[in-house]
Amino acid sequence: MSEPVEDPPGAAFAAALAGLPGMGPATLVGILRRWAPEEAWAGVCDGSLRRPEGRGGSGAPEQLDLSDDGGGPPRRSKPGWRDPARRLDPPGWWARMASQGIRVTWPGQPTYPRALEADPQPPGVLFWRGSLEWLQLPCVALVGTRRASPDGRAVAFEIGRDLAAAGVCVVSGLALGIDAAAHLGALGARDRAGSAGPVGVAASAVDVPYPRRNAGLWQRVVGAGAVLSENLPGRPAQAWRFPSRNRVIAGLVQMVVVVESHATGGSLITAEAAIARGVDVRVVPGPVHSPASVGSNQLLYDGPGPVRNAQDVLDGLGLFLSPANDGAAPSTSPSDNLGAEARTVLEAVGWRPTSLNQIVERAGLTAARTMAVLDELEARGLVGCHHDGWVRRRSS
Amino acid sequence: MLATVASSTLVGVEGRPISVEVHVSRGLPSFTIVGLPDASCRESRDRVRAAIVSSGLKWPQQRVTVNLAPSSVRKAGAGLDLPIAIAVLVADSQISGSAVGEVGFLGELGLDGSIRKVPGVVPLVHAMRAGVVVVPPSCASEAELVRGSAVRCAAGLRGLVSVLRGEEGWAARPPAALPAPSAPGPDLADVKGQPLARLAAEVAAAGGHHLLFVGPPGAGKTMLAERLPGLLPPLGTEEALEVARIHSAAGLTLPAGALLRNPPFRAPHHSASLVSLIGGGGAQMRPGELSCAHRGVLFLDELAEFPPAVLDTLRQPLEEGRVLVCRARASVDFPARVLLVAAMNPCPCGREGGPGSCRCRDATRYRYSARVSGPLLDRFDLRVIVERPEVSELLATGAERPAPESTATVAARVVAAREMAAVRGVRANAAIPSSRLDDLAPLQSGARRLLETRLRQGRLSARGLHRIRRVARTLADLEGDSGPVSADHVYGALALRAELFQREEAAG
Repeated sequence: MSEPVEDPPGAAFAAALAGLPGMGPATLVGILRRWAPEEAWAGVCDGSLRRPEGRGGSGAPEQLDLSDDGGGPPRRSKPGWRDPARRLDPPGWWARMASQGIRVTWPGQPTYPRALEADPQPPGVLFWRGSLEWLQLPCVALVGTRRASPDGRAVAFEIGRDLAAAGVCVVSGLALGIDAAAHLGALGARDRAGSAGPVGVAASAVDVPYPRRNAGLWQRVVGAGAVLSENLPGRPAQAWRFPSRNRVIAGLVQMVVVVESHATGGSLITAEAAIARGVDVRVVPGPVHSPASVGSNQLLYDGPGPVRNAQDVLDGLGLFLSPANDGAAPSTSPSDNLGAEARTVLEAVGWRPTSLNQIVERAGLTAARTMAVLDELEARGLVGCHHDGWVRRRSS
Repeated sequence: MLATVASSTLVGVEGRPISVEVHVSRGLPSFTIVGLPDASCRESRDRVRAAIVSSGLKWPQQRVTVNLAPSSVRKAGAGLDLPIAIAVLVADSQISGSAVGEVGFLGELGLDGSIRKVPGVVPLVHAMRAGVVVVPPSCASEAELVRGSAVRCAAGLRGLVSVLRGEEGWAARPPAALPAPSAPGPDLADVKGQPLARLAAEVAAAGGHHLLFVGPPGAGKTMLAERLPGLLPPLGTEEALEVARIHSAAGLTLPAGALLRNPPFRAPHHSASLVSLIGGGGAQMRPGELSCAHRGVLFLDELAEFPPAVLDTLRQPLEEGRVLVCRARASVDFPARVLLVAAMNPCPCGREGGPGSCRCRDATRYRYSARVSGPLLDRFDLRVIVERPEVSELLATGAERPAPESTATVAARVVAAREMAAVRGVRANAAIPSSRLDDLAPLQSGARRLLETRLRQGRLSARGLHRIRRVARTLADLEGDSGPVSADHVYGALALRAELFQREEAAG
């Protein structure tokens, strides 16, 4: 996936327009659909394009005060656009951003995600690092709570990995918990042929990793896929930006999969935004008593269907696992032709994490033997290593 | 008149010989002590004077000057009361100088002339340059550990002066307390189940590998740790003396009658301050818990509850086996070769319901695990997750399950393994330098392949590799196998090194 190094003409001005005070996505989209960015910027600088009165959210272009015949001074004392615009040198400023690998796109550009062109609330500009070409593949959002259970994280990891391996772009929000697990899963499939890169949609700017603990993950997602955001470079994550980010996720994808959600949470907002857009929403069922699954189970009860794994997601999208990734389609179950020792150890491992101590105790073998057998079982995909123990996996 | 009497003072855990010189001359009556005495030592003036007077002896109404030589060593504590009093009496010709020529004195004086116990008798008596040593009766058994038959007891100043004047013989020493039958420590046979944790304890004892137990409350972490000293080989005479000197200097009560042969076990509470753990303090620097556990086990329960700054001070002593405590007045080198055993919960909630039931937030877990710094965590070659034993295991009768191995059985294997390490020329396998691993712990081809795979998968770091190889060496030694390390031993070592904390999101 090669990336055009050159920014399209006007990139600096489009980015600069996004930074004007009170500029919301609706207003910005209105302006950029009507004028080329450099024209709009020139209009702002000479005062002919002024900040619309009232709340900016309703901003269809017709409502802008664009009269050339001097519409009089602004009636409210909100900061206008002209003075800040005159103080800024967009090309110089943008050159610095571009040198950090930050790119920008806006409606009408070939790089602008097609799914967002028809969106009811499209972002006015999108800043990104990495490569946006992944978004041309089928896209699925994997979202969930930051306070995830180990089970939830494991499921998000597996679905993320298997979807990416099947060539589906995994979109998530770069948060802790489920989001991070989904991204890590997608990154884990990187070296498989035909796998798709992950795309992270950030609530902060693309050059402000948030949460800070995820800075390493953030870099890896940039390297393998893309991190995008509608926020001007340098803007921090603020509470109100999260729901707004969630609508971008919902707008980008063909399906939203909620892995785990507390009774209230950002992933439910994403699901709502998806439903409003007619995007398919699916839910991974969770334990009834687990607080981390209250919200997702409620959502499940309310209608959207369940998914158990990547295969279910692909079925829902009308895609099929490519044979190469089909787990080598074993004619016999891998748990056949196991030695007696391996069988004993396998039975000692539970479906919930089991500590090594317990496995050794139940299997009655030496620690070294048990570890050797577990290594073998793991290579066959029958068990998985988990930070607080080993878990059995389904063999297919 | 001039008199000189031998005694000693404590610097850290070592004694230093001191000669107490007293000069009594004509002039206005006065009493001064010179030669770098600290505050507690200067207080001797009043005690000595009162003790002499109340013992019915005469205080010289003259100019009395006491010099504690060498004057470069700071003298602390009340142990010099008795030698000062004796030297004053000699200088005043109340006792003949020849009677004290080859005698050293040690003891604190009461105002009534009684002679009291002082801490650190073992190193003090050890350092004293005198043929015969006089100590208070309560210190006799400690003093005998180092000086045997050259120890004399005196309960009061009056009696001691009579003896020195030749009026009566030495008081009989208090009957040596019968050597306390070395109470058998808690036995490993009491631990039900926990095969991995038992193995870890055995490997820790055999190879000197530091050990970390992670598990919920009630899993038996403390129970296992308390059984570790019993697995260590008993102390040799030299080692036992060294331990006795440290414990004596720290003011711990030594067992009566015989040297302590059991390796010490110290378990400071997690509110411990830095100085109490490492050593230090005022004028008289005392060994900390770390040194008290020298040649034994230092057990830190609830590791994550210790202040992180205190824990991180342990890093360097753990590597070097000693700790140099420096103050403006002096630097003291405390021995600190310990086997560190620590226990902690996996997270603040303690994971009540077994693995996978944690209800803590990620950030909470992360903060909790971050209380133990990576470098310290790295010092633990053995990390074992301990769960509560299964119910069936707790109630199993002897018929259903073979009896667990006892301490004696395991200790025998440990001794054999330690001997193999000694043949190799290392103190313990944990101390094999990484440059000599290829030489001392070569790998069979299967073991090499296995480690290569792990390294390539990123599941093992370079540092981890060295630690795994040392533990695998110990596992081989425990099986009596001195040849190259096999894949099975490496698997065993991998089993004993759990990846404890989920750091993937942090590491990215």
